[in-house]
Amino acid sequence: MSTYRRGVRALMIAALLVGLSSVTLAQAADSGKLVEKDGKYVFVESMDPSLKLLLERSVKSGMITQGEYDQVMKESEERTQLLSPSFRGWYDRGFNLSMNDNAFFLKIRFRSQLRFTQRFRNDAWRNPGEAKNFPELLGVFGDYRANRSENSASSFNVRRLRFYFMGHLFDPDFKYYIQMRAETAKNAQSPGSLSLFDVNFSYTRLPWANVQFGQYKVYFNRSQINSTASMQFAERALVQDAFTASGLDRRDIGITIMNDEELFPVNYYIGVFNGAGPSFNRLGSFTSEQATVDCPGGQTSGNPFPTPAGCPVNQRNLNANTRLDVDRLMYVARLNWNILGRPGYGEGDLAYSETPQFAIGGGYSYNPGINTSSDNAFVGLDLANLNIRRQLAAFGNGRQLGLGIVDYSTWAADGVFKYRGFSLQGEFYFKNVIRHNKGLPCMNTACTETAPNNFGNAMGWYVQSGYYLIPRTVELSARYAYWDPDTASANDLIKQADVSLNWFLNGTYDHQIMVTYSNTQFGTGGYAIGRSAPLPPGSGIVPLDTVGGTLIENAIRVQYQIFF
Amino acid sequence: MTRTVHEDQRVVVKVQREVEPTSYTHPVQLTSGEIASLLRGFSIREQQRLPLRWFAEELPPKPLFREDELQALAPHLEQGLQQVGPNERTHFELRSPGFNPEYGRDTIAGWMAVRDPYLYITIEYFHTQIPVRKFDNYDSNYPLPPPTPKDYILYFEPGRFWSTDEAKAQAVAYRQFLKSGEAGTAPR
Repeated sequence: MSTYRRGVRALMIAALLVGLSSVTLAQAADSGKLVEKDGKYVFVESMDPSLKLLLERSVKSGMITQGEYDQVMKESEERTQLLSPSFRGWYDRGFNLSMNDNAFFLKIRFRSQLRFTQRFRNDAWRNPGEAKNFPELLGVFGDYRANRSENSASSFNVRRLRFYFMGHLFDPDFKYYIQMRAETAKNAQSPGSLSLFDVNFSYTRLPWANVQFGQYKVYFNRSQINSTASMQFAERALVQDAFTASGLDRRDIGITIMNDEELFPVNYYIGVFNGAGPSFNRLGSFTSEQATVDCPGGQTSGNPFPTPAGCPVNQRNLNANTRLDVDRLMYVARLNWNILGRPGYGEGDLAYSETPQFAIGGGYSYNPGINTSSDNAFVGLDLANLNIRRQLAAFGNGRQLGLGIVDYSTWAADGVFKYRGFSLQGEFYFKNVIRHNKGLPCMNTACTETAPNNFGNAMGWYVQSGYYLIPRTVELSARYAYWDPDTASANDLIKQADVSLNWFLNGTYDHQIMVTYSNTQFGTGGYAIGRSAPLPPGSGIVPLDTVGGTLIENAIRVQYQIFF
Repeated sequence: MTRTVHEDQRVVVKVQREVEPTSYTHPVQLTSGEIASLLRGFSIREQQRLPLRWFAEELPPKPLFREDELQALAPHLEQGLQQVGPNERTHFELRSPGFNPEYGRDTIAGWMAVRDPYLYITIEYFHTQIPVRKFDNYDSNYPLPPPTPKDYILYFEPGRFWSTDEAKAQAVAYRQFLKSGEAGTAPR
């Protein structure tokens, strides 16, 4: 090769290198990358096409060798790599932000469920109303109010409004999850505000022993583990809410050890929690006490609650808020066996499973020392923590209000089957409510008057099924739920039947429209402390039980969900 | 009903039975070089859904496969086409790490079938981010079904081999193409 040709070739290479360095988005020919642009993923060649063409022609014409071409390409790639930002952002089921070394990842999502509800209630909702399972607790003392309404109601509601921040820190195995909520509860008397719903961390390095800690939904029963974003109906069945692990709320603060559900056919979950519901702990729950230890505080000096023997006459002086049972914790265990495939917890067979998916599971929870009311077992005196009592009422366990300190021992068993758009799912629940104060609840200090009978236990079940009329798009589903809130009482059953037509707009749960019809019947029988006769002497009478009847509600809920 | 011909982190090839009875001229003996040559001729763009189709600016077609992708896929397609029956088709998935490899993978997927003299190809995903797990890594137990397949418009160059069969389905007259000795020339 002549000196002249070598000189020309060197000049050519130099010119190309200068050209490369002057291109802002210089990228390598074969490396390229996918770029998300206007919602589409487009493959973009890394190198400017004109430069690439020049280089290729130079190789073809023999002006540069293949080796030189490869070297330029390599240098171009390195330069691109060095010039590229150290993070990247894209949209995929939320806005995603990641550092290039994948040491930090953030996904931001938003979910809303907007709903219109048209409901029709029978006259029993006007009188006597619902005072036993879902009473309203008003004021600073949380006085009981019967929940009453006229026959028909039409309402628009932002049923759920959630913000999510999730991802990993330091390492893909150290994950975080934060959920904020901003919705207003159905019967709330003032608009809701933004509040913390979940905050938890998971360490998943050991697939057989993942650890999650913080505030989150307790892994106990199938319907509560599932998100409200992936249901077959606009709302959970009432019985599903009544049998949470703590008996108070589906969320709690604690720690769970479990294995990776995607890797093992049998999954275990073992958890320890406060057992006091979300954003709360047992130190917030206290008993009012006089300055004299073991003497009940509050205004108990008059009838029917005179000061107990051995205690000074009660008066409004310094009293104590005494924390009792604060060394108790809730213990939860669950087992799930994926017998066929891996059906997961999302309801319905949205994925249109090509092979049968079948799983069974069960859970046990022990939550001791929950103060459901005053020690003297009646409303208005020495009241227990309002938050605890409101949680009981909100989840339909209002009949347990007034039972004093109780231990909850709750069982759940479930099964699910999915195949080619068809799904069948069911659960059975049983809750043993163990009162610390044995015998019939007293209506006065001397216990000369008592409630007519003791609270029994609680049990319930539901079964639901669905079929995709159009795979991954249109589903028809039905559910029947049965709930006996007090096994020792008659005429107190709660029965619920639902039918729902669901349209999943893009083949995922994220974007959906549901039209759910629900028929719910509440028996008003049974004794509820403070809401049934007899009340303590001198407290008047409660005429609700003399009215009786069955509360019937027919409701149509039209709901739009978007999760992005 | 499916059976797996090949599966690794990069390529999955399966034989799928057609839901409705059909009569392909399977199995087919094509070399990986011939398959690569055929696939090299395809380009693709996503079909917008109505009513967006009326307003959205359409992106120009992109080559269906890069050269490295063809080299990875073609040998396994050769194998798949040899094992496929008259009522079956060869399904393929070409996988690459996604934007967040813990969460999803970049996927090109579709299926191929031959009914002489035509070769049919349908693309379900083109560089689509498919979740690697059935349930969300970060949002515990939230189901992550793969996105539904999209509609794509395929092109083949040289265009004279891109024709329609008697059922008006678009297909490549692959025997003629291979005999011509021309190379697939999708715009690159």
